[in-house]
Formats: sequence, C-alpha cells, structure tokens
Amino acid sequence: MAACEKRRSAPAPATGSGLVEPVRAGVGGREPESEAEFLLQAGVTSMVREALLKVLEARPEEPVSFLASYFEKLVLSGPQGGAAADRHRQQQRLVRALWYVRLAHHSHRTAFHNNVSMAYECLSARGRRKKPGVNGRIYSELLRKICQDGEAPEEVVSSLLTKIQCRDHEAVPFDVFRYGVLSCVVLLEFVAKADTLYDILDDGSGMADKRVCHAVLGTLEDALGASDFSVPIRYLEAGSKLGPDCLALAMDKALLERKICSSMNREEFLKKATALFIAKVKPID
Amino acid sequence: MEPPAPNPGHGAGRPMATRPAPCTVRSPVALQVGDVKTDLARPGVAVIDVALPPAQPLDLQEIVFKNSYTAFLTVRVQRRHPCDVGRASARKWVTCLWNHCLMPSPHTEAGSQDYFSLFRHQLLCDVDQVTAVRLILRQPSPVWLHFTLEELRLYPRGQQSLQTDFPSWLSHLAPQQQPENLHGGVPDPEKVSTEVQQLWVLTEMIRANQTAARIGRFDVDGCYDINLLSYT
Repeated sequence: MAACEKRRSAPAPATGSGLVEPVRAGVGGREPESEAEFLLQAGVTSMVREALLKVLEARPEEPVSFLASYFEKLVLSGPQGGAAADRHRQQQRLVRALWYVRLAHHSHRTAFHNNVSMAYECLSARGRRKKPGVNGRIYSELLRKICQDGEAPEEVVSSLLTKIQCRDHEAVPFDVFRYGVLSCVVLLEFVAKADTLYDILDDGSGMADKRVCHAVLGTLEDALGASDFSVPIRYLEAGSKLGPDCLALAMDKALLERKICSSMNREEFLKKATALFIAKVKPID
Repeated sequence: MEPPAPNPGHGAGRPMATRPAPCTVRSPVALQVGDVKTDLARPGVAVIDVALPPAQPLDLQEIVFKNSYTAFLTVRVQRRHPCDVGRASARKWVTCLWNHCLMPSPHTEAGSQDYFSLFRHQLLCDVDQVTAVRLILRQPSPVWLHFTLEELRLYPRGQQSLQTDFPSWLSHLAPQQQPENLHGGVPDPEKVSTEVQQLWVLTEMIRANQTAARIGRFDVDGCYDINLLSYT
C-alpha cells in the first residue's frame, strides 16, 4: 500500500457537515484508493462502530428505529449559525442529553456511566460565545425533565430536587451531575416499586390498612438503620430483618393492636416511603 | 491446606484455628546392625524421634505428615502418668500405631508422596499427656534408597479459638416462626418481602454512590481571614 501513496492537492473543506473532511493522498488523475480506505477517511468506520456500540449497550426492542433516531440526532448536532438558533439549539441539546440518559437502565453500571458522560459532554458544548460547561440552570432543567417522565408525585420530586439542585449560576462538575441524574432515575424506580408494594398491601381493595403500612415502613426504616455501610454484614442483617418471617410477624402484630381501623391512601404511603429514600440522598453543597 | 486423611472422615475434624504443638523433630536415624562406620548395608528401618518441651505434656489430637517413600509406620509414645511426677526415669514407651501401611505396594510409587493424618481415635492407646513420640519407619523395598517423613506436625486437643468479632445478632437469631394463624387481612409476606427488599437495595445504592464532589457553594476564598476581620 505504501507504494501507491502519492501526493494530490486536498479539496476545499466542506461546510455544515459534521463529517471529517477527507484528505486524500493519491496521484493526480488516478484514484487507486480502496473502499476500506475511503470509509476510513470519510469517518464512516468510526461512526458506524459507535452506532453499533450504542445498540449493544441499549439493546432496544426496535433496533432499526433506534438507529434511525441515533443518526438523526447525529445530524442535528452539527453546527448551525445564528444567535436566534441558540435557544433552539439548547433545547435540542437538552432533548439529546435526555435521550442519552434514558438509553440504559441504571443497573447496567458501565453503560449508564458512559451515557451520562455523553450527556454531560453534550450539555457542555455551548454556543460559540459562551464558555463550555454545564451550569446549574440547564442541570436543574434536565433533572426536572427526567422526573417528569415517571409517575412520581410532584411533592416527592420537589423534595428530592431541593436536595440535589444547583443554583443557576453555579458550574456543575461531572460527579455532581452524575449523582443528580442517578438520584432522579433511581427515585423513579423507587416510586414504581413502592406503588407495587402498595398494590400488594391493599389486596386489590384500593385502601391499605394504616397499621400494616406503618409496620412495613417501620421495618424498612429499621433495616436501613444507621450503622456503617462499608461492612458487608449489614447486608446479612438487612436480609434477615426483611425476610418474609419477620415481616409477617410485624404485620400480624400490628393488626392485633386495638386501634381504630383506618386506612392509608396511596399518596400518603408513597410520600412516607420516598421520605425514607430521600433521607439517604446526600444534599449537594 | 488441609491434608487428606487416609480414612474417610469421622465427625471429629480439627478446628481451623488449631496450631501445631511446638516440638523438635530429629532427622531419621537408620538402624544399623554391626559397626556403624564399616557396615554399609541399608537396613530399611529408620527412627524419627520427636521431643516435646519437657514441662508441657501434650494431649494428642492428630499427627499430620507428608510421606516420602516410607512403606510402613509404627508410632510409639512416651506418656507421663500423674503418679510419675517426681520420678525422673522409668517412663514406659507404648505403641499406639503398629505397622500402619502407607504404601500398599512398597516397590511402586502409590502413596509414596501422600499426605497422611492420624487421629487419636485411630490409635491403639490413649495419647494424653505425651512427652515424646517416636516414629519407626520401614521400607523393605531396595528400590527406594532414602525414605523419611516430612512436614511432621502434632496437633494438640481442644484448642478452640472463639471468634471475637461475631456480631451479636447473628448468634441470637430467632428461630423461624411462622405465625400459625395469620389474620385474614395480612397480605402475602413473600411478596411484601420481595418488594421491600428491592426498595432497600435501591436506597442502599443511592447511599453507596454518594459523590464526594462539592460545588463549594458556601466556601469563601479567604477574605474572612481572622486577621483581616480584626482591622474593620
């Protein structure tokens, strides 16, 4: 291959394209470059490779539409001129960052971490006149948008956001960004699971007994406890406290109490349960 | 590394925390008939003497060693009786293992380099208060010129070290009690338990992922230094 490399004048750089400009080296008039070389120089190889990696990480149910929206967003992220388009572009960036965050479930730790970094980078790239970086305003907006998708009640969301939000003017480092995003995503899952728990507790009747709810939430609070969290023995302890026997005993004991039989509705239960969760979220300072 | 015992295991195992008793193992001495210096015949019998610290007679639990081409083993122990205290001599040697076969076929390799473990219940006599141990090795085959026992260790009886950092709740586990007559209104504990455990996991996750990064919202950059303040 080295023998075929000859000099040729480079073409004028293309405008408005997000692709890498092809700089070709070949003899004037003849183009002996192979197809592989062309793809490499056009930047197509790396782009397709990235797209495939994203598909593997996200494992969507509709790969074709996933890829279509991926390439669409890639095209839209190209530079567009004009000050009026700034706001529009910021909205686009927000939407794109949101899409990144939703690609992988938070339990796929590496994939989720990668996606959050890509979202951070996407939000950091600001317009030509502004300095790069994520400021508090766009970070808070992103968090609010993430929470809007789930079915978390407004109160719960706002109490979490007060803990992890940043002021508009503050610069948000990546660790804080990741923590905030993770908290929101996990909160949504927590609310969903607490909802399921309420469905179990009410036995389909729509209203759960207040004593039983208190017993269950009390056991959970006890298991979350205050002991140091680096010791694995805590997991054993929590496992034994949250086993079916202990819970059955607690619920049975609660029902034996001679209190006026009242019920707890879903909102109150969710509020109490998420209060336990939010108490463990470290506020940002 | 746990050496395998020659017999299938009885319930009496050695506790993990036991350490071998301190003893002095002498190198094997071959039995010689006739003049030591001129007679070059190899008799095929060697004796290993193990001396224990004189003031600490041992209650033997186990003898562990690695074989090195010894075919048969006889073990004799010298015991101290309570009535012997004060008497310097006339301690008797007692055979506690007689002609134990270590290699099923002395000419071949089988068992020649195995690990062996002899428990007190396999021995012929009581091995409490032992002051000295003598191992008599026999190798009738002319194939193996040198034979011995390696890594000889004696384990005393009854050393149980308590684990000190045992959490108290683990030793006070309540037995599984299923309340026999659950009230009709109690929801299924299995399902409740599953969900509650998942809630716990999510909360633990967020607690474990706390970030050390700070925005530094209320940090000041030194203009509230005490020296400067005192000038106002």
